[in-house]
Amino acid sequence: MLRTKGIAFKLIFFYTLSGGLIFLLIFGFNYYFSRIIIEKNVEDNARNLALSKANQIEAVLRAVQKVPENLAYYLENSSCDNNELMRLLRSLVQNNPEIYGAAVAFEPYGFDKKLLHFAPYFFKSDGSIEFTDLGKGSYRYNAWDWYQIPKELNMPAWSEPYYDEGGGYTLMATYSVPFYKQSGGKKQCRGIVTADINLAWLQEVVSSTKVLQTGYAFLISKNGIIVTHPSKELIMNETIFGVAEARDDPQLRDIGRKMIRGESGFVPFRSIDSEKPCWMYYAPIPSNNWSLAVLFPRDELVADITRLNGIVIALGIAGLLLLSVAIVFIAHSITTPLRAMVQATKTIAIGNLDVELPPVRFEDEVGKLTEAFRYMKESLKEYIRALTETTASKERIESELKIARDIQMSILPKVFPPFPGRTEFDIYAAIEPAREVGGDFYDFFFIDDNHLCFVIGDVSGKGVPAALFMAVTKTLMKAKTSQDADPGMILTKVNKDLNQGNEACMFVTIFIGILNTTTGEILYANGGHNPPLMIRSGDNLSFAVEPLPVSHGLVVGAMEESIYQTETVILKPRDAIFVYTDGVTEAMNEQGELFSDDRLKKQLIKLHRKSAQETIAGIMKGIASFAREVPQSDDITMMMIRFHGGGE
Amino acid sequence: MEIQTRKEKGAIIVLVKGRMDALTAPEFENDLSGQISKGENIFLINLTGLEYISSAGLRSILSISKKLKEKRGKILFTGLHGPVEEIFTISGFDSIFKIFLSEETALNEI
Repeated sequence: MLRTKGIAFKLIFFYTLSGGLIFLLIFGFNYYFSRIIIEKNVEDNARNLALSKANQIEAVLRAVQKVPENLAYYLENSSCDNNELMRLLRSLVQNNPEIYGAAVAFEPYGFDKKLLHFAPYFFKSDGSIEFTDLGKGSYRYNAWDWYQIPKELNMPAWSEPYYDEGGGYTLMATYSVPFYKQSGGKKQCRGIVTADINLAWLQEVVSSTKVLQTGYAFLISKNGIIVTHPSKELIMNETIFGVAEARDDPQLRDIGRKMIRGESGFVPFRSIDSEKPCWMYYAPIPSNNWSLAVLFPRDELVADITRLNGIVIALGIAGLLLLSVAIVFIAHSITTPLRAMVQATKTIAIGNLDVELPPVRFEDEVGKLTEAFRYMKESLKEYIRALTETTASKERIESELKIARDIQMSILPKVFPPFPGRTEFDIYAAIEPAREVGGDFYDFFFIDDNHLCFVIGDVSGKGVPAALFMAVTKTLMKAKTSQDADPGMILTKVNKDLNQGNEACMFVTIFIGILNTTTGEILYANGGHNPPLMIRSGDNLSFAVEPLPVSHGLVVGAMEESIYQTETVILKPRDAIFVYTDGVTEAMNEQGELFSDDRLKKQLIKLHRKSAQETIAGIMKGIASFAREVPQSDDITMMMIRFHGGGE
Repeated sequence: MEIQTRKEKGAIIVLVKGRMDALTAPEFENDLSGQISKGENIFLINLTGLEYISSAGLRSILSISKKLKEKRGKILFTGLHGPVEEIFTISGFDSIFKIFLSEETALNEI
């Protein structure tokens, strides 16, 4: 997928991805550690808050305890009549705002021998102090826990919270202090002094200090009963164990046990009424073995972390966006010139080398590439200019060479039959030039009425030098022939002339013959040329092909002092002489084999009844079918003269 | 074409192998021209390994021999055989150069 995308996309993709990953790592690390630190602080704060609240309640309870304790002491150590007791009790309730009500409950006949039950009770009601005697009516005070338990234990005690039906008519907890009289050296319980606290009032005390925004505190009794709670319907109706049961939460049950055992701790918790996740700190109230729980809503506790994280994430995203913008800018600055270069390349590819390249703005890699590209463009331009020139001059040379070739070929006699009306002989010559300019040539002409001179030659090497040398040689041959009729002499003179200033050591192989058209006698000389073939006719249509015996004179142009011999051969009527250059026998086929003397002889035998023209055409065809696709490397030249007889 | 040269009894013996044609002849000519300009002037060319020689090859031999002539040097041949010997015969080169049957006889001649 990424392979087809541009650099900008890849840069943005990878940098944003890796930047995002780094950010996430840092964020996670930060979140983890800041959370640990903050939670530690939260726990410390929670503990301080809970303990101070517990102390506050403890102080209230201790203050409540003091009042009945003092009264009990007073009752034990002084006699006190009814009016005095009433006055004391009333003022006690009136002067202690934390006390809801107070009573002195006497043992039967404990106050007055005539009075079975006596328990004067003052309590607050709608801002005034009410009085009732708990000993009257159906209220049997000595059956209540607040009376029974301290009496039996012989020590002061807090009651479990209860609804005082028939007494204070409210939810309360009572602190009861027994008081005694000395009777026959024995301590005998005379009654119980009590002080009540109103749970509604206690609730106000407990909730007087705010816990964060929505946190709160509640109290449970030593049995786990919820004593105070912001939700009033829970008070006295629910226990911590009941909540644990309802939630099927063994951990909460365990926490409840710890609470009533008087332990303290910091635990995760869900609010009893709203089920909101909270942290809870619980601490004991030593006076009455109750336990205070303070609930801190989790979201408020971690509000700082959450806010911090929000800021960090916002910063991170902003940073990534900034990074992306920066990358887009950088990528743009890289890809814009590259895109321009792509366009320029396409333009150059279709041959327009004058295209404008993007300006180099920075000395970075792109700038260097542009510079290199500019250099390449200029070099290409220069190269193409040079190439165009070279090609043009090469074309000119080639066309000139072709013209040279045409001129070279045009100086060879090409009209056949050349001497119509001459029946004594049949002559034909052909040249198949190689692609490259070569140096083969042939010539024939009458010296006088009955002497036909024929020449074949092959200049060493190829190209223009060979062509020029060939032209010079051919001209010289004709010129010298007009002075002498002796082939050896002609060759000797031509050789001398060609040696003049022949620095390049060029040479030419020449065979020259002069046929007496009356007698059939040929005078000939050879300058390094391959010997001609004689086609001899015998009796009864028999014939033979054999090389002409030649003395091997040196190639012409090699040594100034060379002397060439004239030799003689007689052609009988129907005899023929076949002269050729080595292009014939050295023609090569695909297997690298040469056409060879043998094949040439076989062809000549096959074609011996044909005319000179047909024979040469046949051999040309034979060579072509032998060589097939192999390019011709040398000129192929052949000439044949068949003697028909003197013709008189 | 491959050229190996060694010196023996004051002569540079040149072993030529392969084909000597328009393409390779300049190499032969340059090689020997270099030796001549260093002062060597007796060469024995051993053509035992030469399979083919074209007119360009003959021309380079001629060119070398002319250079040697100016310096009064010598060029000798040995190891002629087959088509190469034939070409030497046809071109008349056998008439202007000294050709020996073996290196020993050629060296003795010097």
